[in-house]
Amino acid sequence: MSGVIVTNLVKSFGAGDARVTVLNGTDFSAEAGKMTFLVGPSGCGKTTLISVIAAMLSVDSGAVNVFGTNPLILKPREVVRFRGETVGFVFQQFNLLPSLDAAENAAVPLIVQGMSSAKARSKACDLLALLGLGASLSKLPSQLSGGQQQRVAIARALVHEPKLIVCDEPTSSLDAASGKTVMELFSSLAVRPDRAAIVVTHDDRIYHFADRIAFMEDGRVVRTEDKTRPHVIALEPHR
Amino acid sequence: MLSIALKMLFGDKVKLLGLVAGIAFSTLLMAQQGGFFIGLISRSANFVLDARDVSIWVMDPLTETAEGPRAMRDTELNRVRGVPGILWAVPLIQATATLRTNEGRSTNAAILGLDNVSLVGINRAFVAGSPEDLRGPDAIAIDQLGFARLWPGEPIRPGKVIEINERRAVVVAITDAAPGFSAPVVVYTRLSQALDYTPGGRNRLSFVLASHAPGTNPADVGKVVTAQTGLKALTSGDFTRATIDYVIRNTGIAFSFGVVIGLGALVGILVSGLTFTLFISDNIRQFAVLKAVGTSNWRILGMVASQAVVVAFIGYGFGLGLASGFFEGVNQPLSELKGFWLPWQVAAMVAVATLVIVLLASVVSLRRVLVLDPAVVFRG
Repeated sequence: MSGVIVTNLVKSFGAGDARVTVLNGTDFSAEAGKMTFLVGPSGCGKTTLISVIAAMLSVDSGAVNVFGTNPLILKPREVVRFRGETVGFVFQQFNLLPSLDAAENAAVPLIVQGMSSAKARSKACDLLALLGLGASLSKLPSQLSGGQQQRVAIARALVHEPKLIVCDEPTSSLDAASGKTVMELFSSLAVRPDRAAIVVTHDDRIYHFADRIAFMEDGRVVRTEDKTRPHVIALEPHR
Repeated sequence: MLSIALKMLFGDKVKLLGLVAGIAFSTLLMAQQGGFFIGLISRSANFVLDARDVSIWVMDPLTETAEGPRAMRDTELNRVRGVPGILWAVPLIQATATLRTNEGRSTNAAILGLDNVSLVGINRAFVAGSPEDLRGPDAIAIDQLGFARLWPGEPIRPGKVIEINERRAVVVAITDAAPGFSAPVVVYTRLSQALDYTPGGRNRLSFVLASHAPGTNPADVGKVVTAQTGLKALTSGDFTRATIDYVIRNTGIAFSFGVVIGLGALVGILVSGLTFTLFISDNIRQFAVLKAVGTSNWRILGMVASQAVVVAFIGYGFGLGLASGFFEGVNQPLSELKGFWLPWQVAAMVAVATLVIVLLASVVSLRRVLVLDPAVVFRG
């Protein structure tokens, strides 16, 4: 299977009596071409799991395979490159850089990879236009609504065409209508045959966007459900 | 990445202002005090600097400073004239006397008695009158700052009559000479006149001012003078440095200014360090995002360093501008701080110090970014 495979992952924080095991032999997979939701109660280890998959955290034991690469065995410099080239992030709090306008924010991953600012901006502008922000390219995050900011964040996650998209509660800071719009756009643009998307969420209003839902409890995936996604707005695929 | 770093910096205008103000204040303090220090200690060598025709100063072996000569026998002049390599040599008497005006004002002055014929050693920049006017009876030339001190508010022109140690003197010319370190007023007169104004013993010769012959090196000729006469002979440059060194060694001035300059640097480090730490702290999430999307620690280091250098550049520019404005304002012909300026060497040293201050300040705050776990971006 092409995508993400996590096997028997164990991750603890703290030491001695304060030691807490957050991932307790976790097995998980997310296939390319599908949107996999990771759901479960607070503290069950969802964010820790995507942090490990996205090469932001080390583990005590276990294995991770992201499109043929195990980020856990990479050298620090390779980990940084892996994150920059392979992973796109969408965060709950958007985490846009307040001093950069929408186009610059979306272009950041390309600039980090060494592309010229002008070329990166041009590519980001194309993507933002697809996301309906063609008129807001030069606006600062503070001048955008929450839904618009999350769309900029989605553009930032997609602009460098990563193989894996990781979303952490993408709709929890949005009202229902904005959340629906954001998810429609995200599912249209993010899901491609050669890309896996993992969405951590508590928001059951958006479960119908999932191809697969993995339920976590106490540091383990306890069951999975495969679903059939409804037809979503058709948009030009991003090149 | 540079453009992102700069936008982050300029996006937070309040902290940018705090950083620039801290660096500017620190730069101002270091440059102003540095320039002030140089101006003050340079005063001790103003007599030497003003005597531009002279290449070799000959003096008693115990003389250490231009303002504190030990008297020599008059016959030393002819001994110096007889040294091979000496083109010409003339006497100079230097003494301190009290000037008193008809209006009752008085001040101490350095009396420089010049060779009656050549008037070598005089400051050639005249505001009124000319060196030739000194050939008249009781004739003296006074510096314009001294004139303004003795006759405040009056137009600066020759003709005033004063007493020097109770002897009559007529101001026939006004020079642009800079004040000395210990005597605030400079009076030039002929040697014969100076002997009358400053009574003393038989041996009155303070310095022999000499010039080296064409094709010779003044330092080498000076060594020959010392070898043949037993007197100390220094080039003008060496004597200037020796005089300044003497003042630095024998007064607390260097220590005092050093403390103020050090405090300026310390204030700069503290203010910019604290503000930079706040800046980094407030932007920590932004740095975490950058790390999450694949920015290496080295590039983060480069971003913070570029922010620091830009802040240093702007702050230094403002601070140096203010310091230059200060010296431009005080270095006026009738200012008590006449002759105080900002040497480029001080500006260069302050530039290096400012860069070090800002880099130190950024290093303190940088550690937090380098150890930052990018996973914090997932925390709400």
